Amino acid sequence: MTVLVLILTVVVAVLAVLVAGLLRAYGTVLRRLHELDAGAPRAGAREFRLDATSRPVAAPEPRAEWAAAHDVAGVSVAGEIVSTRLVGVEHDTVLAFLSTGCASCEVFWRELADPSTLRLPDGTRLLVVTQGPELESSGWLADLVPPGLDVLMSTEAWRDYEVPGSPHIVYVDGRTGRVRGEGTGQSWHQVAELLARSTGDAAFLTGGPSIAKPGRDAEQEAAVDRELMAAGILPGDPRLYGA
Amino acid sequence: MSTLTGHGLTVALPAKWEGRIYLRDTAPASRFAHVAGRGHPGERAHPVLHVANFPLPPGRGDFGTGAVERMSHAHVFASLFEYDGEEAGRALFGARGLPVLHLRDFATNALQRRLAGQLGVQRFFTVDGRPFCLYAVLGSSRNGAALVGELRSVLATLRIEAR
Repeated sequence: MTVLVLILTVVVAVLAVLVAGLLRAYGTVLRRLHELDAGAPRAGAREFRLDATSRPVAAPEPRAEWAAAHDVAGVSVAGEIVSTRLVGVEHDTVLAFLSTGCASCEVFWRELADPSTLRLPDGTRLLVVTQGPELESSGWLADLVPPGLDVLMSTEAWRDYEVPGSPHIVYVDGRTGRVRGEGTGQSWHQVAELLARSTGDAAFLTGGPSIAKPGRDAEQEAAVDRELMAAGILPGDPRLYGA
Repeated sequence: MSTLTGHGLTVALPAKWEGRIYLRDTAPASRFAHVAGRGHPGERAHPVLHVANFPLPPGRGDFGTGAVERMSHAHVFASLFEYDGEEAGRALFGARGLPVLHLRDFATNALQRRLAGQLGVQRFFTVDGRPFCLYAVLGSSRNGAALVGELRSVLATLRIEAR
């Protein structure tokens, strides 16, 4: 009997140690989660501070975050020598950088061959740009490109826009002469959805006149941001939350 | 300012102006050519230059079909169409040098196809043995003088090489 009591005591002691270990680990996890959720900083972590001498924060230029756009010059599939304007014009341009050799471009070529899939806001131009004739197969292109689709061959444009690979889509704001968005997609349809969402213009899906929520909302938001930053109020500032 | 050069033609394009130079299509017709821009069997290919202060679409006719329909009142378009060298001695091409256009030269009845509000002009001439037709269209007479002035300044930069 005494032996049995001793064994049970040892088992209970071991279990108590295990439970204590588990509780400690659980406590560590909770503390880390609390820190991640804007809780107290870890020991040694540098706290974000504003300079107490309060140097004025220069207001960023409007849309300074956008890269400068470039006009595109090149040669069409039919051999036409072309100079187009994207900068300082009334219209916006969607540049689709595609190639004949990339498998993921095939969906785009297929979709672009069907005019019914191409819907853009009125006044927005679609320009498909491949690399120049020295790097691209003109013969293949002639087979791929449907009449009516504006396709230019221009290695210079790929360089200007620092195209990382194809397919790559760049949306250029003609009035500001700046890139307003860029990235890739799996299909033209997907790109159109992204453009519609990011610009707030459903005409990227429906075609026709712009269905805005136009850039006005974004412009107003950017203007408010600039004013706040000029006043030294940065993201996370307690004054933003009525403190 | 950008410069467009090809087939013995060079033109400097100021801000907002686009340009395209192509060889007129010869038979068999390319599927990229506008139906109004297809040549006939045996025709020798000569260049056509289009300039405009609005986006030029692909597959236009030689005298702007497909583009002029998109013009607003603030737009201007011009086509420089080269004819075969054999035409150079004919009376139609007797004028020497690129013509200087004025607003008074433009008229609605000079359009290839009448479109509401538009005005056109057509001039035939020869430069260094190369016979040309210059055809220009204004979106409207509103601001016409300014638009013609803009077009004139673009055409003033045009250089035509001798064959």
